[in-house]
Amino acid sequence: MGNVSRMTVNERKFIETAILNDLRIDGRRPFNYRPLTIKLGREDGSSEVHLGQTHVMAYVTAQLSQPYRDRPNEGSFSVFSEFSPMADPLFEIGRPGESAIELGRVIDRGLRESKAIDAVRLDIHILDNGGNLIDAANIAALSALSTFRRPECTVSEDDGQEVTIHPPETREPLPLIIHHLPVAITFAFFNEGNILVIDPSNHEEIVSGGRMTVSINTNSEICAIQKAGGEGVMSGVVMQCMRIASMKAADITKEIKNSVEIFDNERTLRKIKRHSEVATLEIDVPDSSMNETSQLHHITGLKNHTDLIPKSEPNTISQVFIGQASNWDPYSMKTSSHLSKHFVASPSTLSPSHVNRVVETISLPKLEKNQTENTTMDNDGVISMAVETSSVTKTKNMLTLKDAVDKKRKMKKKMKNVK
Amino acid sequence: MTHELVMVEEGDDKRVDGRTPNQMRPLSCSRNVLHRAHGSARWSQGETSVLASVYGPKSGTRKGENPEKASIEVIWKPRTGQIGKTEKEYEMILKGTLQNIIILTENPNTTTSVTLQVMSDDGSLLSCGINAACAALLDAGVQLKQLAIAICCGLTNDGTVLLDPSKIEETKVRAFACFAITNSPLSALSEVTPGSDKGKSLENGIVTSITYGSMQESDFFHCLERGRAATSRISEFLRKNLKS
Repeated sequence: MGNVSRMTVNERKFIETAILNDLRIDGRRPFNYRPLTIKLGREDGSSEVHLGQTHVMAYVTAQLSQPYRDRPNEGSFSVFSEFSPMADPLFEIGRPGESAIELGRVIDRGLRESKAIDAVRLDIHILDNGGNLIDAANIAALSALSTFRRPECTVSEDDGQEVTIHPPETREPLPLIIHHLPVAITFAFFNEGNILVIDPSNHEEIVSGGRMTVSINTNSEICAIQKAGGEGVMSGVVMQCMRIASMKAADITKEIKNSVEIFDNERTLRKIKRHSEVATLEIDVPDSSMNETSQLHHITGLKNHTDLIPKSEPNTISQVFIGQASNWDPYSMKTSSHLSKHFVASPSTLSPSHVNRVVETISLPKLEKNQTENTTMDNDGVISMAVETSSVTKTKNMLTLKDAVDKKRKMKKKMKNVK
Repeated sequence: MTHELVMVEEGDDKRVDGRTPNQMRPLSCSRNVLHRAHGSARWSQGETSVLASVYGPKSGTRKGENPEKASIEVIWKPRTGQIGKTEKEYEMILKGTLQNIIILTENPNTTTSVTLQVMSDDGSLLSCGINAACAALLDAGVQLKQLAIAICCGLTNDGTVLLDPSKIEETKVRAFACFAITNSPLSALSEVTPGSDKGKSLENGIVTSITYGSMQESDFFHCLERGRAATSRISEFLRKNLKS
């Protein structure tokens, strides 16, 4: 990728001239956001956000701790954001640099509202720096906090000192009380503060003369503004930024709420399913129960990993390969060498409707290629493996290239599969 | 050995999630998932998922390192919390493992940095990390002598070996072992018919072996055998992934 911090003069001039003409190097308009994908992990309180090429993960945990003496009813909320060396070759491990601290503080200021006695800790991991880390990290933080559930704890009546924490099996964990979602919108200034663009990519950030972040919620209330250094901008421009930000905030809040809703629905579904699964495990052969879940998720599993494939770069081919649970026994005659192309569950689950909103990628042609290979690999496997093979190939057959084109058809098929 | 198998089939040793002791969780591997990194891979075993990234040779080595060879820097990042002793231990284990598989004399006086981020943890974390690091190195195009494929085995109180234990199982086993076993390219070239013991005829050295808890010698070797067979299957999976 090369060292982006040292841009050539030509690159700089190109970006600047393009922006003067209302064009950005990735083809966006000045006030367009990059495609946003929010993925909520299986656990409560973990989220992954893709904003164009920027990839951020957030994770929320809570610990019981003593509150401050002057605020006995409030807990504490702390944000830990560390820039992983994974994200950028310039990031070093160890003490967080100033941009990491800035990021943490901006998010902290926007979110400083907690009503629990627990100390809520938010960890933000920057996995890939594609520009505009503050916005992406903020969205990840909001999604994670919205899905986080803390265990219920009761204070014993007699002396008021003992606190019992109830495990999630006995009492349903409680969500955090979040009054509003402050969304951070970042603007970059060019040409001595005359031109502004929203959601700068990392090339644009380097060329820009200044940056400003506005944290705003759907009620058009400004939660925080951060403009540290850089070029001076006229107050009129700042007001314009706020107006644009409030519009964008509405869109992003809607996205976050949608994802959280889907996650909550899945969560309740999983709770119901858990009881029925326990019953079947006692009777059934283990492989078939695994197969059930795999059928449910195999399409979503593939989609999950292809989300990470960059759409815009045709020369980088990312490999997606998912293997089946290996049911081999080294000492039995019925050894199967099947670690091949069965599509199986992936760690995080997505519901079909959410998957549909995701950027379409080149995944489906691969499906077909693997399909044919799969049929040739069907030699004398274990009995249970044979069952899995046939059922998995059957479901795979239902997705063809036409589905890549025709979203509606695929969505219908997915709904059928889930049912 | 056949006796043990019969015991298993009688249905006494079903695991919490319904697997047999020899059954691994579904594997999945995606490569080239990050844009800035030179190589990246995300390896998942069931619910455990680790994301590894590799930044290719940077000039200069750190102070204590041998400048005649390339040096490897490993950073293990947990999901939450400060970096403590466990993470440092993992980093050390990984560094030792990777030093044995990378051709170090190729780029002397350089540093290759491997960063691992735990995305979710449901047991067998170290083996998942080693596998992810291998896949990421392959994606980055770093020259490797051989692949080091890792597997975790748990030993229960009645002597059963559980492959790829989940977090709940890890807390219940008496002892726990993690092996990283090398697999040379020879295994990929020879024609494999299912059921043949190809693992035995080729060189399969142990790069790393970490055990927790106490176990008998015979149990250890038993774990090792199971682990060996498992790693040959996983490396098949990885090689097929690379070919597609």
